[in-house]
Amino acid sequence: MSYKEKSTLASILSGILILGAYCLYAFQPSRLAALPPGDLKPWAVTMLVFIGIGIGVTIVIQIVFHILLSVGLAVKAAVENQQNADQEIERSLKREMVEDERDKQIELKSMRIGFIVAGIGFVTALLSLVFYGSAVAMLNIMYLSFSVGSLLEGAGQLYYYRRGS
Amino acid sequence: MVKKFEISNNIRRLRFFASEMTQQELAEKVGVSRQTIIAIEAGKYSPTLELAFRIADVFGVGIGEVFQCDLKGE
Repeated sequence: MSYKEKSTLASILSGILILGAYCLYAFQPSRLAALPPGDLKPWAVTMLVFIGIGIGVTIVIQIVFHILLSVGLAVKAAVENQQNADQEIERSLKREMVEDERDKQIELKSMRIGFIVAGIGFVTALLSLVFYGSAVAMLNIMYLSFSVGSLLEGAGQLYYYRRGS
Repeated sequence: MVKKFEISNNIRRLRFFASEMTQQELAEKVGVSRQTIIAIEAGKYSPTLELAFRIADVFGVGIGEVFQCDLKGE
């Protein structure tokens, strides 16, 4: 499994964790009972907080991955007792981090999956407002569809990497 | 109706005749990842024209010697 596949997998797992944490926190019965009906502000605040957490976790994961990759390469160089180990580590890092036309194509293809899911979710959210009149439900459907879209984008990326393109 | 083409390549053979050039060496020479070279060699990914020319240039042959189009039918 390449560095990009591992990194994508980690992003998917963190996305699932954050989505799960949001659902557990936002839909707990005691919280729902305490919220004034129809008030969107607490929902907007919760979503903004979780978006912030998501961005933070993604950045931390990328940093941790880079560190782990460097450590792994350093250990490998030490085990193989290579001369000029530092240069070899640098070269190996560059090799792993190369982004080429296939990566861009895979990114575009999987991004399309994410947009389709988010688009369907947006329309569903509007329909829910039209038929049920609940702005809270609309907001949640939108948030969840964007989150699920992002997860499926990652899954699509993994699929295309496994398939070749 | 548009005819279907299947693109095949001789990269494995050309690497062999280029002193057993490794996939990593070829990848570094053309500026892509080793995974991309693996995918191209296996026929799972069709490179852009630019990359195809760069690969041909590494082996010092024409693009037609690296990639071939097989007509599948109408």
